Amino acid sequence: MGHDLNPVQQQRLVEQKTRFSRPSFLVQVALVLLLLMVPFNPSFRVMDAAAKIMLFTVVVASYDLILGYTGLLSFAHAMFFGIGAYSVALICYHSGTPQWYHLFLATGASLILSVFLALVLAFFSLRTKAIFFAMLSLALADFFHLLGITWSDLTLGEDGVTFNLPGIFNMNWAGVRFLDIHFSARMMIYYFILLVSVILFLCLVRFVRSPVGRVLKSIRDNEQRSTALGYKTFRYQLLSIVFGSSLASLGGILYAMWLGFVDPDSALGVFSMVDYLLMVIIGGLGTLYGSIIGVAFFITTQAWLPDLLKGIAALLPPSEIIARIAERWMAFLGLLFIVAIMVFPKGVVGTIRERLSIRKGAGRVKRT
Amino acid sequence: MDAEAAATQLQDPDGFNMKRLVTWVCSIGIWFLPLIWVDPTTYMVLTVAGVAFGMLLFMVASGMTVIFGLMDILNLAHGALFALGAYTGGYWVLNLLEKWGWVEYGTVMQSIWSLVLAILTGAAAGALLGIIIERVIIRGVYGDHLKQIMITMGVLYVMTEVTKIFWGANPEVVLVPMTFQGSYDIFDVIVGKFRIAAIVIGVLMFAGIQVVLLKTKIGLIVRAGVENREAVQTSGYNINRIFTGVFTAGGALAGIGGTMWCVFQQQVYPDIGLENIIFAMIVVVIGGLGSVTGSFLGALVVGLSFNYVAFLLPKLALGVNILIMVVVLIIRPWGLMGEKQGD
Repeated sequence: MGHDLNPVQQQRLVEQKTRFSRPSFLVQVALVLLLLMVPFNPSFRVMDAAAKIMLFTVVVASYDLILGYTGLLSFAHAMFFGIGAYSVALICYHSGTPQWYHLFLATGASLILSVFLALVLAFFSLRTKAIFFAMLSLALADFFHLLGITWSDLTLGEDGVTFNLPGIFNMNWAGVRFLDIHFSARMMIYYFILLVSVILFLCLVRFVRSPVGRVLKSIRDNEQRSTALGYKTFRYQLLSIVFGSSLASLGGILYAMWLGFVDPDSALGVFSMVDYLLMVIIGGLGTLYGSIIGVAFFITTQAWLPDLLKGIAALLPPSEIIARIAERWMAFLGLLFIVAIMVFPKGVVGTIRERLSIRKGAGRVKRT
Repeated sequence: MDAEAAATQLQDPDGFNMKRLVTWVCSIGIWFLPLIWVDPTTYMVLTVAGVAFGMLLFMVASGMTVIFGLMDILNLAHGALFALGAYTGGYWVLNLLEKWGWVEYGTVMQSIWSLVLAILTGAAAGALLGIIIERVIIRGVYGDHLKQIMITMGVLYVMTEVTKIFWGANPEVVLVPMTFQGSYDIFDVIVGKFRIAAIVIGVLMFAGIQVVLLKTKIGLIVRAGVENREAVQTSGYNINRIFTGVFTAGGALAGIGGTMWCVFQQQVYPDIGLENIIFAMIVVVIGGLGSVTGSFLGALVVGLSFNYVAFLLPKLALGVNILIMVVVLIIRPWGLMGEKQGD
C-alpha cells in the first residue's frame, strides 16, 4: 500500500490515520464543549462575547482565505458581511411577522448578491494589477455604506433596523424546560450560531486542505510559476474570492440574528476592515486556526478595554484631555494593529508553527 | 487588447489614424451630451461648477498620485494628511484670524491673506505628519504592497480617532473669507467666487508639480531614482532623503487639498479623510496609477460628470463615480494616461 502514491497523497494518508488522536483534535473538542457550556454562565456579557467570537471566527477565517491563502487584499469583506446582515434584517422587518421561509429567502438572497458582487469585483480588478483589487473593493464597500445610510426608504438610514425572528428564535418565545434547565430564545440562537459556525469553519479547513487550496497557496507564493505549470490562476482566485465572500455574508446573517439589530456603521462601515485585519494579523496570516485566537483576543479586548481605560483615567489627575483619550479606545486598537504589522507580522499561530518547524528540523514537509 | 495594440503599432504613427480621431471626437463630444436635456445657461453653470469640483478633486488626489507614481506606495494615510490639513488650515487658522476680524468681514487683502495663511498652515501640517509617517512607519515596509496598504489604512484609522480627541466627533463649521463668499453673474451664468479661486489654485498646483518634476534638477533626480535606485545612489545622492522629500511634498499637497476642500464644503468632520481617500482613489484609478496628467484629467471627468448627473438624475449621483471607474477599467484597464504593464 502506498507504493504508487505521490508524496502529497502519502502525507494525507498519514493525516487521516492519526486524525482523531492528535492533540489539536482534542483541543478542538474541548473548545466546542466549553462553548456548549457558556450559556449556563449567568453573565450575559460572557455569552455575548462567546457568540460574537464564534460568528466573527467564520468571517475572519474566510477573510484569511482571501488574504492569507490567496494573497489578495480585499476591503469589501465588511460589505459582504453587511449584505448578509441587512438581508436578514430587511426581509424580517418588512415582512411584519417573519416566518421560517423568510430566513431561507434571506440566506438565498444574500448568497446570490454576494456571489454576483464578488464576481463583478474580481472580473474588473484582477484583469490588471492586484493592487486594483484593493482599490476597487474599497470604493465598492464605501458605496454600499453610503447606500445603507441614504436609501432610508429601505434601510431606515442611520437609525438602523430592529427586527424579530421567527419561531423559537423570537424573543417572545416562552422557552422550553428540559432536564430542569430553561432554554430561552437567546440560548437557541446561541446554539444555532455554534452549530453553523462550527460547520462553516470545518468547511473552510477542508477547502484550504483540498487540491484547490494547495493551488491557491502556490499562486500566492509564485503566480508565474503556477501559470507555467498550467493552472488557470484567475479561475482559482475567483473561486477563492467567491467562496470567502459568501461565507462572510453567512457570518453577517448570524450577526444580525444574534443582535436583532443592524445599522450601517456597525455592519457596513469601511473601518471595520481594520478590525478584521487586526484579527487576522494577530492570529497569523494563512493559518485558519489563528483566526480563532485573533477574534477571541479582539472581542475580549473590545468588551473590556473601555472599562480598563476609564479605570486608568480615574487614577490619573482629572483633566479633559485624559478623559477624551480614554473615550477613544478604538485608537489604541488601531495603534496595536500598526505595531503588530511592524513587529509581529506572523501572528500567534504563525510564530508557534515557525518555532515548531525549527525544532523538528527543516527536512520535514511543512504542514498547514 | 493585445490585438488592438498590435493594430495600432502597425499603422503609421504620423499618418491619419481614424480610430484615434474617433476616440478624441467621442471623448470630447460626450461632454456636450447634457445639452439635450438642459438649456445652455444651466449647462454653463453646471460646467463651471463641475470644473471647479474637478480641480478640488485634483487637489485631493495629486499628493496620492505623486507618492504612488514616484515611490510606488499606495498611501491610504493620505486621508489622514488631508484631514489634518483641513482641521489645522481650514478650521483652526481661519477661526484664529476671525478673532482679528480678517475672515468673515475682512477687506479684500485680508481675505486673500487669510486664505493663503490657511493653505500654508495646512500644507505645513500635512508635510510634518508626512515626514513622521514616512520615517516611522512606511520605512519598515518598503517594497511590500500588501503591508503598505494595511499599515497606511491603520494610520488613517488611528488619525481619525486622534482627530476626534482634539476636535470632537461632531462636524464643525468652517468660515469662508469675505471676498470668496457669494457669486458673480456673467450673462445669467452664476459662478461662485470660491469656485474661481479653486480653479486658479488647482491649475497652479498642476503646473507647479509638472514644472518641478520635468524642468528642475530635483525632479530629474527623483525620476531617475524611481527608474534605477542604485544608479542614483552611486552618483552620490542620498536616495532615502530624496524619498522622504517626495513623501513630504505629497503630504503638503494633501494638506492644501484638505484646506481648500473644507472651505469649499464649509464644514469639517473626522470622517473627511476616509471619504476623500475614496474620491482620490477613484480619480487616480481613472487617470492611470501614478500619472499626474492622468489624475488631472480623471479629476475633471469625475467632477464634470458628477455635476451633470447630480442635476439630471439626483438619485444616481452617489454611484456615478464608481460607474465611471468601472467603464474606464473596461475600456482601458490601465487608466486614461497610465502605462500598460503586466504584473
